[in-house]
Amino acid sequence: MSVSAHEGRPRVLPLPRRGIRVNALYRRSAPWLLCLPALLLITPFLAACLYMLRFSVSADTGAIDGFSLQAYVELAQPYFLRSVWLTLKLAATSTMIVLVLAIPLAIMIVTTRSASWRRVLTVVVLLPMILNLLIQSYGWILLLGPAGAINTALTQLGIIERPLILLFNEKGVLLGLVQTSLPLAVFPLMSAMRVVSQEYLEAASGLGASQWRSFADITLPLLKPGLISAGSIVFAFNASAFAVPLLLGGRRVRMLGLAIRDMISPLFNWSGAAAGGMVLILIITLVLVFSTWLVSRSSVRGVS
Amino acid sequence: MSRVGLMPEEGGGSYKLLVCLLAGIGIIIAAAPMAIIVIMSFSAAETSSFPPSEFSLRWYETALTLFSSDESSGSQAVGAALSSSLLVGLVVMVLSVAACIPLAYALVRGQRRLRQSMELLFTLPLVFPLVMLGIAFLLIAESLRWELGIWRLIIPHLALVMPFVLRNCMSAMQSISRETEEAAISLGASPLRAGLDIVVPLMKPGILAGLIFAFIISFNEFTITFFMYTIDQSTLPIWMYSRTVSSLDPSTLALSVFIILIDLVMIIAIDKIIAGRSSLF
Repeated sequence: MSVSAHEGRPRVLPLPRRGIRVNALYRRSAPWLLCLPALLLITPFLAACLYMLRFSVSADTGAIDGFSLQAYVELAQPYFLRSVWLTLKLAATSTMIVLVLAIPLAIMIVTTRSASWRRVLTVVVLLPMILNLLIQSYGWILLLGPAGAINTALTQLGIIERPLILLFNEKGVLLGLVQTSLPLAVFPLMSAMRVVSQEYLEAASGLGASQWRSFADITLPLLKPGLISAGSIVFAFNASAFAVPLLLGGRRVRMLGLAIRDMISPLFNWSGAAAGGMVLILIITLVLVFSTWLVSRSSVRGVS
Repeated sequence: MSRVGLMPEEGGGSYKLLVCLLAGIGIIIAAAPMAIIVIMSFSAAETSSFPPSEFSLRWYETALTLFSSDESSGSQAVGAALSSSLLVGLVVMVLSVAACIPLAYALVRGQRRLRQSMELLFTLPLVFPLVMLGIAFLLIAESLRWELGIWRLIIPHLALVMPFVLRNCMSAMQSISRETEEAAISLGASPLRAGLDIVVPLMKPGILAGLIFAFIISFNEFTITFFMYTIDQSTLPIWMYSRTVSSLDPSTLALSVFIILIDLVMIIAIDKIIAGRSSLF
């Protein structure tokens, strides 16, 4: 090895070997040092996760003391099971609606030629996920509330006599869930659409397939992995929703997030809340793992 | 002009009609709440009946006076809530980006295994239910009995923004070739100098997008702050919530329009910086 000859200031262009040596040195010492600041910042989060896990098996409902599965056993009550069922139902329904709306939206954004229109569409779709949920709930209340725009218009037109109840029930929560999780499906689908090449569709059309036929037989199967992963993210996001049912459900639509909070706020049942949260995390993890399995299975099939 | 495709330019019949219809419904669902807030904030009436019979800027004036007075309303004043919102957002954005730059470097240049496990670790906050995080942080803060001050809000927000910041930094890092810094090192620069003078400037777009993302997410955060806030340490969304929990005051709508505008400007900035080089998340 002639590495030592190049120590100090080389006057010639570096040999490839020199670069390899520098990287080897880097790899041995620096990575953990470089990761350290970020690891420090994420430590409270990890501590919080472990703390909840520990609290959920505490024998005392108000403090960490001893081990017991009592908190989990006590969850098997009608009010909590109803919450679980409602959460699953709303999350599944909203996921279906989101996917049905997200495919056309992604198609529209991807195929828009003008860059500025594409930017407008992107921003309009992205904003609901970023913007503070409180402000959006104001918007829904103004639109759908008892004195909101739609009820006022319908009453003035004489179509209805008493205002329709569009908010503070499951329908209102569903609408809020669809709105806030729409971007989570649109953007992954936009990148998934890159695999749907124009040639495939032209070939199909050349063979006499109609527009619908090529959508069903070519576009949808190619989008399938993207659809599954987007759907699972939307489901996980909506199953753990808190602000939307709090603000648009008027406390009557008790999804899991609200049920967990109610255990703390009036009841001070901390270990029960922790156990309820673990159930929620379990549901989300199962859905994510199942979807990963589905995606890997469908891509393996695609290859063979 | 192609007659077939995802969105045929000619013809297309029922397919094109349905795609446009559904996309239109999606856009309406996404934009309707914000649109009506903007319209109603210019209403001259006391009530929130739509459409407004007259337009005025009176609610904007009321919103402005909120900032100057409102010292004795018991809870925190709007000015204090706004300034702590900004402070939390700024600290979160600086700290998260400063931590993610070296991390992104180590992950892109490092071994595959390290990269996969770290990426998984830093994606966790994205799928972890916010209610649980809020409760957990509250429990820990209560049991520690430390005077955390504004860090009560900063620490949870940091975990929340890390996935977004890291993703932006990593996608910027991926486009920097190994040879550039090796050239600097072989010309006598120390690895640290090569990192600071060569790699960091080249990562600039990703760093900028990460900074804005971190700020915008922290600035709009509601759920965790809902659990963590105290009388002294609160943010603008929580102030608005406690003000409107019983009834909706039109001056809050004027305030909302300000926030929508801030968010809009920042999202457009991110979109311009990223400019199709990587997906938004």
